[in-house]
Amino acid sequence: LSAELVDKCIGSRIHIVMKSDKEIVGTLLGFDDFVNMVLEDVTEFEITPEGRRITKLDQILLNGNNITMLVPGGEGPEV
Amino acid sequence: MASGGGGGSGGAGKMADKEKKKKESILDLSKYIDKTIRVKFQGGREASGVLKGFDPLLNLVLDGTIEYMRDPDDQYKLTEDTRQLGLVVCRGTSVVLICPQDGMEAIPNPFIQQQDG
Repeated sequence: LSAELVDKCIGSRIHIVMKSDKEIVGTLLGFDDFVNMVLEDVTEFEITPEGRRITKLDQILLNGNNITMLVPGGEGPEV
Repeated sequence: MASGGGGGSGGAGKMADKEKKKKESILDLSKYIDKTIRVKFQGGREASGVLKGFDPLLNLVLDGTIEYMRDPDDQYKLTEDTRQLGLVVCRGTSVVLICPQDGMEAIPNPFIQQQDG
């Protein structure tokens, strides 16, 4: 059921919350059984200093080890 | 070391077939479906939401999730640092606690020790 939900999200915006105070927002291109994720047009947010980090493009592979939550269509802490 | 009986006395579960190694969950989450539960994660995050789905790996699908984060001064004050809108998927690999939202209350700290300087 959860894998289906993530699968429905492919091609649209997703917001990933890590175990640490870091969040990633991007377009979901794909994922695997371990929920490692390939994202595009990515913005990385650091929660405590409350500032946007880097806007990355050209696709990233996000290691699923540290992922805590996935929010389909989420925008993240856009201050 | 010979341990007596398949763990524990009384109780209904018989673990006779250890060879099969079935992926049985020790917690039946189906009784929490459509109920509000509280989830705690590694890293100190907490979330509450209505349980919509789950899998044997303990990934959870929560609806209407409220996420709380621990600031340095929060210290379990549960400030509402809400970030979620609607549906989230919680990774089972980082879940450490699941409990019903109803079945909990705040009590005074039973561990307080008076220290005489």
